[in-house]
Amino acid sequence: MTHTSTRPRRVSPAEVRARVGEPEAMIKAKVLDRIDDHSRRFIAHSPFLTMATADATGLADCSPRGDYPGFAKVLDDRTLALPDRPGNKMADSFHNLAENDGIGLLFLVPGVRETLRVNGRAYPTDEPDVLARMQTEAKRPELALVVEVAEVFFHCGRALIRSRLWDPASQALADEIPPVSEVVTAQLGIDIDPAALVQTLEEGYRKLY
Amino acid sequence: MQQTQQMQQTVVDHIDQAAEDVVSLVLRGPTGPLAPWEPGAHIDVALPNWLTRQYSLCGDPADRDAYRIAIRHDPLTRGGSEYIHRFLRRGRTLDVSLPRNHFPLVSAPEYLFVAGGIGITSVMPMLRAAVASGTPASLLYVGRSKASMPFADELTSRYGDRVRVVATDQEGRPDLAALGSMLPPRALVYCCGPASMLDAAKAAFPAERLRMERFHAVPRQFVPNTEFEAVCARSGQTVRVPADESLLDALTHAGRPVVAGCREGICGSCELTVLDGDPEHRDDIGASAGRMYACVSRASSPRLVLDL
Repeated sequence: MTHTSTRPRRVSPAEVRARVGEPEAMIKAKVLDRIDDHSRRFIAHSPFLTMATADATGLADCSPRGDYPGFAKVLDDRTLALPDRPGNKMADSFHNLAENDGIGLLFLVPGVRETLRVNGRAYPTDEPDVLARMQTEAKRPELALVVEVAEVFFHCGRALIRSRLWDPASQALADEIPPVSEVVTAQLGIDIDPAALVQTLEEGYRKLY
Repeated sequence: MQQTQQMQQTVVDHIDQAAEDVVSLVLRGPTGPLAPWEPGAHIDVALPNWLTRQYSLCGDPADRDAYRIAIRHDPLTRGGSEYIHRFLRRGRTLDVSLPRNHFPLVSAPEYLFVAGGIGITSVMPMLRAAVASGTPASLLYVGRSKASMPFADELTSRYGDRVRVVATDQEGRPDLAALGSMLPPRALVYCCGPASMLDAAKAAFPAERLRMERFHAVPRQFVPNTEFEAVCARSGQTVRVPADESLLDALTHAGRPVVAGCREGICGSCELTVLDGDPEHRDDIGASAGRMYACVSRASSPRLVLDL
């Protein structure tokens, strides 16, 4: 993708602040430096989060993590642990964290409009006592990510309200997205039997742990 | 054969601290009596965080309106006990299974009950039943400290010197071998506790008079997994079970889901009826003839025919 003469105008940080306005004192005060009981209850009921990391140059990456509610384990009020489940083996997050240990997590609970943001620093571990808490279907992950928590706060529900994310009617949008087999065939430019591709994909989805 | 297990709705009526790290729950039927049970039975509890956990019923079988269970917080597990301890609230509805019993109290002229820690839960209704029927019975209840042992006072005040409570931090581990040497000829021993206690009980009591219940599967080595076929007799569907997949998962993925609980061969939720073929049993329950547990057991013949 290239941006040349049509590149949108850049707004300076000062101008951004002027246009967005200052946050109210109450909003600033809601940023905690630890996981309180309410955050802990939210995490215990969250089956899904997004994880943002960046490499040493600042090139950023955001990836999904999901499992049964409470799969992110609160080790203490300053420490979280996330299981590393089988994925595409690209290990983008681990690669980034090796260079830059900053991490941002956004927890979602289905049906709840507010989200929970947890920021901190992270590193991989294979500590048996941590992995024991993540064992599912008789398998335990090889690795987990330890997050040393710096900031914890609830984010207001406007984005989820506007997006109608939890409205069942919103799922009609899925009908307009082509099957992933079609996407892969087009993006890789390969000529492969779509049925075979779907089967390979579904086989892969059977191995969730 | 259960394919979709029948569940009962209950309401969390009480949550009480029964000892340090142990809470007891009273689950009440919202509309009427709950399914009956006998000493040794357990239920699956479907928790709000999608985990299903098994707990022994430790109340009075004559009380048809409520079940009582007790749960020790084990921090090094997936989070079932943590959920109950930290997040479960009074008034919440919980779905539970019908009671199942892999640890039934068999009629005997005398009983010795041996319980370790939270293992007291399955043994309590047995002691109650034995005493009520006038059968001589005694209980040795062992825990690491008095404060960690639920129901110790309740048991002592109800059953007096039939109960001996041993806190190992004060008295050390009791000598089961000495108990074994004094065991009356026809007495049965019921033991529920951690693996170390079960091992000691196996060494101390004659196998034919010892009944045990485990908390966790015994780590064991099995022959390498091989692929086999499961034929669902009722539908005629044949399901391939690859070497790296359990029968339970293969059936689920083939659109024939089987209810499951522990997934380690101790709870019995996923029991199947085998019509033909040779199951290779890997459970800790001891599957009866013609039955198998789909979560861990496989096949030593190339195909199994199941009543599904």
